Amino acid sequence: MQDKSLMFYMIRSELEDAVGAENVSTREMERAVYSVDYFWLSRKWQDAGETGPMPDIVVRPGSAEEVSKVLKIANYYKIPVTTWGGGSGSQGGALPVAGGILLDIKRMDKVIDINVEAGYVTCETGIIFATLEERVNELGYSIMHLPSCLTCCTVGGALAHNGIGILSTKYGKMDDMCLSLEVALPNGDIINTLPVPKHSSGPNLIPLFVGSEGTLGIMTKAKFKIVKQPEVRTHHAFLFPDIHTGYQACREIVQAVKPSIIRLFDEAETVSIIKKIIGFAKKGSFMNLTLEGYEKIVEAEKEIVLSIAEKYHAEYLGNEYGEKWFENRITFFYPDHIMDLPQMFGTLDTVATHDNIEKIYWAMKHAVEDGFGEYGVRFISHSSHWYEWGAMNYSRFIIDNPPEDPEEALRLHNRIWNAGVRAALANGGVLNDHHGVGLKLSRLVKEQYGPALQVLQALKKELDPNGILNPYKMGL
Amino acid sequence: MISQNALHHAEKCRFCWMCRHLCPVQHQTGREVNTPRAKGLLLSMANKGTQPFDKDMAQAMYECLLCDACTNDCATGYQPPLFIREARTEAVVNELAPEAVMKLIDNALETGNIYGVEKPSYGQDGTDVLVYIGEVAAIQVPQMAKNLLAVLKKAGVSAKVLANEPASGVMLGDLMGYTEEVRQQAKACADAINAAGLPVVVLDSYDAEIMKQKYPEWGCEIKTDVTTATAYVAKLIASGKLEAKAGTGVQGACHDDDRLARTFHEFAPIRAMAKAAGYEVGEMFSREKLAKSCGTAVAYGYMPALVEKIAASRWEDLKRSGCAAMLTASPQAYLCLSLCVPEGKALVDLYAALV
Repeated sequence: MQDKSLMFYMIRSELEDAVGAENVSTREMERAVYSVDYFWLSRKWQDAGETGPMPDIVVRPGSAEEVSKVLKIANYYKIPVTTWGGGSGSQGGALPVAGGILLDIKRMDKVIDINVEAGYVTCETGIIFATLEERVNELGYSIMHLPSCLTCCTVGGALAHNGIGILSTKYGKMDDMCLSLEVALPNGDIINTLPVPKHSSGPNLIPLFVGSEGTLGIMTKAKFKIVKQPEVRTHHAFLFPDIHTGYQACREIVQAVKPSIIRLFDEAETVSIIKKIIGFAKKGSFMNLTLEGYEKIVEAEKEIVLSIAEKYHAEYLGNEYGEKWFENRITFFYPDHIMDLPQMFGTLDTVATHDNIEKIYWAMKHAVEDGFGEYGVRFISHSSHWYEWGAMNYSRFIIDNPPEDPEEALRLHNRIWNAGVRAALANGGVLNDHHGVGLKLSRLVKEQYGPALQVLQALKKELDPNGILNPYKMGL
Repeated sequence: MISQNALHHAEKCRFCWMCRHLCPVQHQTGREVNTPRAKGLLLSMANKGTQPFDKDMAQAMYECLLCDACTNDCATGYQPPLFIREARTEAVVNELAPEAVMKLIDNALETGNIYGVEKPSYGQDGTDVLVYIGEVAAIQVPQMAKNLLAVLKKAGVSAKVLANEPASGVMLGDLMGYTEEVRQQAKACADAINAAGLPVVVLDSYDAEIMKQKYPEWGCEIKTDVTTATAYVAKLIASGKLEAKAGTGVQGACHDDDRLARTFHEFAPIRAMAKAAGYEVGEMFSREKLAKSCGTAVAYGYMPALVEKIAASRWEDLKRSGCAAMLTASPQAYLCLSLCVPEGKALVDLYAALV
């Protein structure tokens, strides 16, 4: 869009008619706050005194119908639309890199229905996830989605990148929790997925949109399952001799019982972050594990866990450190506790089957440490989401003194990401486990999918022929 | 622009989203600029010269209640109100503050209160304590001031109220930051209180906060004990000087006002008052240190429509709690909550309930 032209003002007045003049802004200050999300590069850009990508117009719809009206206008004029929920994504997925309309959905924050008997909650997608969780908690229930960004992400953001919370090993991630969706398509049509997520009535539509990062449609309402708060929740901690035995033990545990939390830390993270926050200082691989539910079942599960841990020569550390970790589970992410500029850092999370996950750990560690040793890079990793069939690695690189020049930093940053992600892809992993693709990894989507990408491209072409939704993201 | 210390806090907050869910303004408007992180980011941008500190940015700095929910949440201890308050000073100095705010500041400079009226005198002589009424109660919620005095009388406490009670400076401090003008108001207030030589019972927690936290920093410490009215009355109840009343059969939830909850961490006294007033004490989910703000008198002065929405949101919290009454002993909370009492619910001044 060309600012200050007649057409600019014509389109702005149409948008004002759609959502109300007070919900449309072209003020520079208002647009500027969308130029930075949690993506390291956008932060680096701002810190270096550069101006990040800004939208031309901020539009704040209050309902699905208003979203629909905005999309019809945008589709007609072929204006890019980038959706913004909490802005707390780490992949640059919400950055308005193509300008145009920034669709901030936070006015759409209603809880529509809580049905404790049937076990679900329905809400608009602009609600902050913590607010939704509190509303369910008031009734003694929980969605059991507790990510580190619980307090800052919207429901729409969590769905858009198929987020995951700390209790995922028992309760799953977003695509396991979501029962149905209302979606505004790029042409403005409002559709609903089928009333239930499991059926043999044709392909399930939910996975088309969950994880699509605002490129195929804008999710406006969602229904989630809710569960009663557990009768007991017990935390335990263990120390394994090394990461290898830790991987083996955790695999055996998740194939036998259903903990809500398993977090296995490599030796480097055990002696750094765990020591700093939890105060535990021993060499080895720290693991905290949480069991919850009915007390009798939890007791039985505990016995099995202890026996598997013993088999792999783990030192049982009791409840204290697991409780400390749980109490501090969000502390890790506040300023001065988490990595921050001037450091360069990134989370190379990936997921793979049990036979590949350790291979990926070592391949990624070598790719980062050997390839970028001259920059003093550090590599730490933990595995915090487990399935019967596999696990994820939350591997991070940290450079304390990266190049000051933002362009030079960008090149180094992207080289490290390329190397780390390619190590995962070469060993049975994927681009990302739960942060999404966004702008950060968009260039690598083709490498991941190969010829399979044409399926997504065809969907994109059919649903969004003018390519207005979240351009340059997800490789679409 | 703002001090290095405030800028440090802004720089730390600019990339942190952790407290956004607690911001009552952001909850109502849904605007990204109404988050603590956005305000930190904007000040960082202004400092780096990529965004001007102009009227728009100044306006954004006033879209905040200074309720401190963000500070209370921060695991590290960063304080968005610190840089927001300093940004307000910057806005006033550079004549960028919104017109509605400037009008309140002019009033406060002239009369000590944002209403621009002469403060009614509650002057009475007593010998046990000096009751500090404050601007909001004196002018906007006079019945609460009278009820507190009646409660003290009932308990046999001989209370003095200054005939020409000076402003504490809290209103001006919230509007323009801690400038010399605010310090002068504080000093005049402290001098008048010290001249009385009695322990002080402060009705409005906003006044109590500035007296207890800022006056010592500014070298005008109040030399006698300063106690919140809620804590004082709760002690009268505990000591038996104030008798508990018969049960009303009504379940009420106490609203923990911003500064009582987050500055003083004072939760028990108001609940003791509610119980003594005959209420069955229930709870809202958002309470104590995490209590959602219901608005402030100062913010109501320049953004009344938004404050009414914020107060209405607090009433929604009460409705979900199942309680029939919202119980408060804060004049600021009473003022805001009275804007939109829902049908079938009651707003209760706990001092009135104890008389």
